Amino acid sequence: MNRIYGLTLRGIDALPVEVEVCVTGGLFSISIVGLADTAVKEARERVRIALGTLGIKLKGHIAVNLAPADLPKEGALLDLPMAVGIAREAGFIPKDVSGIFMGELALDGRLRKVKGGVPAAFLSREMGLPLFIPRGNAQEASMVQGVEVYSCSNIAELFSHLRGESRLKKLDFSLPEAKVVEVEPDFADIKGHVAAKRGMEIAAAGHHNLALIGAPGSGKTMLAKALRGILPPLSDEELIEVMRIRSARGASIEVERARPFRPVHHTASVVALCGGGSDLRPGEISLAHRGVLFLDEITEFRRDVLEALRQPLEDGCITVSRAAGSVVYPASVLLVTASNPCPCGYLGDSARNCTCSPGDIERYSRKLSGPILDRIDLRLQIPRLTPDELLELDGTGESSFEIRQRVIKARELQIERWSSFGVKCNAELSENMIKKHLGLSKNGRAFLKSLGAAFKLTGRGFSRVLKVARTIADLAGDKTVDEPHLAEALAYRGGFFFER
Amino acid sequence: MKDEELSILLALNALRQFNGHLINDLKCKSVSLLDLAASPSAIREFTRSESVIQRWYEMLSKGWHFRELERCRAKGIEILVWGEEGYPSSLDRLSDPPLLLYWWGNNPRLDKAAVALVGTRRCSNYGGKVAFELAFKMAEEGFPIVSGGAYGIDARAHRGALEAGGVSLSVFGTGVDVFYPAKNETLFEGLKEKGALVSEYPLGTKGMPWNFPERNRIIVGLAEVVVVVEAPIKSGAMITGRIAMECGVELWAVPGRINEGVARGSNLLIFDGAYPLIDVDSFVHLMKGSPEGFLVKGQSEVSLAELDDGERRVYGLLREKGDRTVDNISLECKMTPAQVFTMLTKLESRGLVSATGPGRWGANAFMEGEKGVG
Repeated sequence: MNRIYGLTLRGIDALPVEVEVCVTGGLFSISIVGLADTAVKEARERVRIALGTLGIKLKGHIAVNLAPADLPKEGALLDLPMAVGIAREAGFIPKDVSGIFMGELALDGRLRKVKGGVPAAFLSREMGLPLFIPRGNAQEASMVQGVEVYSCSNIAELFSHLRGESRLKKLDFSLPEAKVVEVEPDFADIKGHVAAKRGMEIAAAGHHNLALIGAPGSGKTMLAKALRGILPPLSDEELIEVMRIRSARGASIEVERARPFRPVHHTASVVALCGGGSDLRPGEISLAHRGVLFLDEITEFRRDVLEALRQPLEDGCITVSRAAGSVVYPASVLLVTASNPCPCGYLGDSARNCTCSPGDIERYSRKLSGPILDRIDLRLQIPRLTPDELLELDGTGESSFEIRQRVIKARELQIERWSSFGVKCNAELSENMIKKHLGLSKNGRAFLKSLGAAFKLTGRGFSRVLKVARTIADLAGDKTVDEPHLAEALAYRGGFFFER
Repeated sequence: MKDEELSILLALNALRQFNGHLINDLKCKSVSLLDLAASPSAIREFTRSESVIQRWYEMLSKGWHFRELERCRAKGIEILVWGEEGYPSSLDRLSDPPLLLYWWGNNPRLDKAAVALVGTRRCSNYGGKVAFELAFKMAEEGFPIVSGGAYGIDARAHRGALEAGGVSLSVFGTGVDVFYPAKNETLFEGLKEKGALVSEYPLGTKGMPWNFPERNRIIVGLAEVVVVVEAPIKSGAMITGRIAMECGVELWAVPGRINEGVARGSNLLIFDGAYPLIDVDSFVHLMKGSPEGFLVKGQSEVSLAELDDGERRVYGLLREKGDRTVDNISLECKMTPAQVFTMLTKLESRGLVSATGPGRWGANAFMEGEKGVG
């Protein structure tokens, strides 16, 4: 039996929808059944007029059934399979036509771009059927290997292909070059901040979550934006994951190897950040998958929003459950937070006086600490430079490109070391792995023992320092974790703000 | 003194109308405490305020004074009564000595002259360090420290004294069982162990704004010398300073930068005649009664022998030129930021440097004891 399929999106998956058409005698009418939303129901006008441009006049009562009947279907992407189904039933294209069709019809017969090109390609690969899509979706769909995909700009082109009159060209599998287009701002453009840059290099190399603390105007946001420029480019596998989420959401699809950077405003709700809503949208944390999620002014976020971030930060994915069903979205991010040291922002500033009361500062630092902070390995303090200091520093530093090369090298070392443990980077190490396989030298152990007491490190504090020290050693290309690595790692624990 | 008399005194004290001189007045008019309780109207001889007399009746009829004494006993709080043994005689220098003191702690006798260290809650890093160092060194020499219980200078002074293993007294503007601010609870517990918590207010008294200036006279009364470490013009520490001047207690003030509001008050005290405290070691020597003059000893030099070359360079820079960002240190010492971070951690663990602001580091004034900021 040759069937015609459309699809509907659920999360980042495309689910097949079989389109059945039956024409009976009587006055002309089209009825659509199968839990279709308004956009699908309205398709009858688009389909009728679009088919009319080909000179096809529809007659009789046309019933369109979208199966399975209990699956809610949404969006205009079902226009095309319905048009194909009706045309086939009416005898305008051969009966043996089958495949997966996706696309919105314009009244003149053009095919409009829709969301979900990548999930559709995955569905087509799974079902082993050819996929027909609007030309606008061609680029994203071509990133999936082993699929027979055809793209067409209008319905006439498609029908002549289906009738065998002219052949559409099968899309070739193609991935963009494994090269990052340099992003703004480049590290070379950032004046001074050599200390912060060093910290960010470590964060990038070990995929450590990062907290930036400093006075207003000290450059926290700029640094956070520059971070993605030194992250290694997306691998093929990661690129597809990222594209699949973007495609399912219909976000403008820029195919690039640079990792996503998603800044989130502190008024964001849990749904906006983690996903949800009646249509089970992915949240910002999923859109930042494999990239950077930046929470500016983290102390201003609502408590429940931050609490909701805990589980995805731990698991790398998030389950969104609503009445409409539940969907698992990938959510593996590098979290970067920025905050002021106190409510007014000038605690410990060299030029301005802090106007906060001790009680205010106390409450503020309590907000800073807590569940999220536990998952942040690196805490960098960003000084606000005085004019003198600014003048003293020269602006020329290493470019993002140079730093990225070192980061990539360090990542390779980590993948090599941890591949047998199913872990990709130092930030993901479990307690057990830290204890047994970190490569801590004898000297290092003694050193840490003596300093741990002086700095009143907790258990979690110890493992954070060890993980960061491992990354520092990887950047240096050292096999064992030694005293200088640990000493440097200890400087990133943010003692001034978090251990008072 | 019998329990009954003591409890009557507690009630009299709770009226907040009488000071230690009441004991003399009673003697002059040959009214005993028991008489006062037996015929409550006898109080009219000593006060005319109807509201006070009303409260007095109420307390006696409800037996509040017995319960208060029981509560004190249960917690191990001592009551020191004016003119009785144990009451610090130095308080008599005040025109208005407290009738009695609630004394919760180890009752360290004030056999040696105590030093009061007072200052602002919002102290600068510098002020906090000086308070700590002063308290540490004085306590090492066996001088008890007296201060309030607030954040900032008060807390730093107590910590310094405790870390040196010395004695420290915290005078409360609340009842001794009301820890204010609550965040300092662990500090107060430590003080109870090693020193004492002191107050003239009945148990459970909340911190009313007017209590604190009133309590300041007790801080002055308990001390031989008062040092205002850092205070803006409008602050409790300034009141303490004024009281010290009025009752002739030796007053010192730590000079601060003249362009910062936080030290304006303490600087003003110097202008008004307080001794400027320009060197901690010399101050300690002076208090010990050593014959050496001021500033006889140079700044105590840290033994740099155990530092490696990089540590020495970074420490030397911070010591000489003041606070620096990591960027500037790396530039001036010609090190990579990674090396600078390494050096800073090592120096911090030795207590030689500490963070003074976001990404800013400074050398500590002295070596021993101090760990971390707070």
